[in-house]
Amino acid sequence: MPLQGESVPANEPSLIELYHTMLDMRHFEEACLEGVPTREIHGELHTGIGQEAVAAGIAPWLRGDDALVSTHRNHLHGLAKKVDPYRLMAEIFEKDTGLCRGRGGHMHPFDPEKRFSATGIVGSSLPVALGFAYAAQLEKTDAVAVAVIGDGASNTGAFHESLNMAAAWKLPLLVVVEHNSYAISVRFSEVSATPTVAERAPAYRMWARHVDGTDVEAVSEAAAEAFAHVRGGSGPAMLEATCFRFRGHYEGDHDTYRPRDERKRMLVENDPLTLAEKRLTELGLASEEEMARWREASRTRAREMLARVRSDPLPPASELHRFSFAGI
Amino acid sequence: MNSTPVRNLRFSQVIGEAISLEMEADEKVLLLGEDIGRSGGVFGVTRQLQARFGEARVRDTPISEMAFTGMGVGLAMAGYRPVVEIMFVDFIGVCLEQVMNAMSKIPYMSGGNTRVPMVLRTAGGCIGSAAQHSQCLWGLFAHLPGMAVVCPSSPHDYKGLMAASIQSDDPVVFIENKRQLNKLVSSYPLDAFVPEERYTVPLGKAKVVREGSDLTLVTISASVGDALVAASRLEGEGVSVEVVDLRTLVPLDIATVATSVSKTGRLLVVDEDFLSFGMSGEIIARTLEELGTAAVRQVKRHAMPDIPLPASIALEQAAVPSADSIADVIRSMS
Repeated sequence: MPLQGESVPANEPSLIELYHTMLDMRHFEEACLEGVPTREIHGELHTGIGQEAVAAGIAPWLRGDDALVSTHRNHLHGLAKKVDPYRLMAEIFEKDTGLCRGRGGHMHPFDPEKRFSATGIVGSSLPVALGFAYAAQLEKTDAVAVAVIGDGASNTGAFHESLNMAAAWKLPLLVVVEHNSYAISVRFSEVSATPTVAERAPAYRMWARHVDGTDVEAVSEAAAEAFAHVRGGSGPAMLEATCFRFRGHYEGDHDTYRPRDERKRMLVENDPLTLAEKRLTELGLASEEEMARWREASRTRAREMLARVRSDPLPPASELHRFSFAGI
Repeated sequence: MNSTPVRNLRFSQVIGEAISLEMEADEKVLLLGEDIGRSGGVFGVTRQLQARFGEARVRDTPISEMAFTGMGVGLAMAGYRPVVEIMFVDFIGVCLEQVMNAMSKIPYMSGGNTRVPMVLRTAGGCIGSAAQHSQCLWGLFAHLPGMAVVCPSSPHDYKGLMAASIQSDDPVVFIENKRQLNKLVSSYPLDAFVPEERYTVPLGKAKVVREGSDLTLVTISASVGDALVAASRLEGEGVSVEVVDLRTLVPLDIATVATSVSKTGRLLVVDEDFLSFGMSGEIIARTLEELGTAAVRQVKRHAMPDIPLPASIALEQAAVPSADSIADVIRSMS
């Protein structure tokens, strides 16, 4: 939906741009999947396949001086924060050319220049993001600190502590909740006192919006409002986007906790890429042929990146202790 | 000995002086913690600092250790040098996640592209507050990789090591001893001179605080004072004890310990922290690795027994190493 009135930003992204972002995200993740059976990625891998509309929808509103602290499922947020995809993929593939020289791996990528970081511990992105938010407040800039969390993190103590502090001190914190309804196997509705996360925000006197996280335009529209709120100095905000995790929690998760028909339906009805394609067609913005061409071009770019990453060296074992302390 | 008169300061004020000088020298230094601002900290370490440097840099927090410890991590990543106070080290349980998975691991996990120059200040030691308010836990932090662990004993080191900790580009856990914080520095059994100016004591350098020839006694934090008292007593009994103050557990200066043990051939480690799987076993193992078993005639550990600290003074005194108990252990080794 087009934005109305004063909330229309100068750089409102087109659906075509948003679709391209999502395509690149999907193909990035699909390239990563190839490293699992070959054990090039020899630990867990959590992909954001199915959740692209959330990262793509916030991407246009993220500035270079904003900080973003992500989760175990962080690749798409890194791409949204304009982290070099090649160096991110190299880190996921445990290479010496990766962002963190193979020390972090896919769950712990750090790019200080892009002010992007992540944590593998559920709920722990929030406290770190508070620090970036306090830094922005001290420096009197309108930079925003974004903490991405999943619905599962909303039941941690860190969630309450951080929201209370952010609101008490009016910190420029934006909490993006990727609500995919499952904390690994446990359904949010079965263990949570509220049907949504966003409805808890008013208890902290926080601005909040709930949005369909499979609709990239809706996410972008809501993100525009959320960023404007936080940048305007009105304190923290929460944007909850309901979405679907297409894969298991991690690669190798048998995903027996979700009924088969639920999984089937989600793939058919809730794919943010398919939904965007449908809308592009309806609006006459792109033909099937064009979209097929875009998909192929995006897939080729990801595969070329994968080939390059695969030829990169692993970190030398002789440097095991390197980076353990400053100067080492 | 320095001829300058010892100032009438408490240990807590010495630490506060170090923090204050670092805050003057570097505007990126700021403090977060419970009761550190208006009240100046429950042990008085940060007294007057909020009045001098303002609320933004000396910030009273809610009782949300997980959030404000992580906030320190984020601030450090954003270019600040936060000094975060966890009032009692026992409270680390509610925020250990941010200490062990974020603060200490991010420098390495990031392949060195992200530094976390943060100091976690906290108070350990036994002051009759029983199981949940009297632990030391430096062995816990030292077990987890990635953070310096600093436990001073002398007034001079409290100031210089705090300055070095704040200036360090690495995460540091700085454990003050509650048995010392409210005492006058003049109570310390060695030189209590503390220069007024800014200075540092390097992290990772142990110090031989008393020379001797019969036995090497290695310890840390307030127990150094107790060890010195015990050593003086034993001198009258004809036993010459060399006392090594480790000053920091990480980095660990095992070379200074090994040099001393290669001379005395006997090693006693005194630890106010728990006995098992801790500092005392580690020091002995590393010394033996360094010197070989042939070079060491006798080893002994004297540490807090593996029980939650009891409240009753009769039981507490039976548990916590003191000058008396240290002297007894040395006698038993003779």
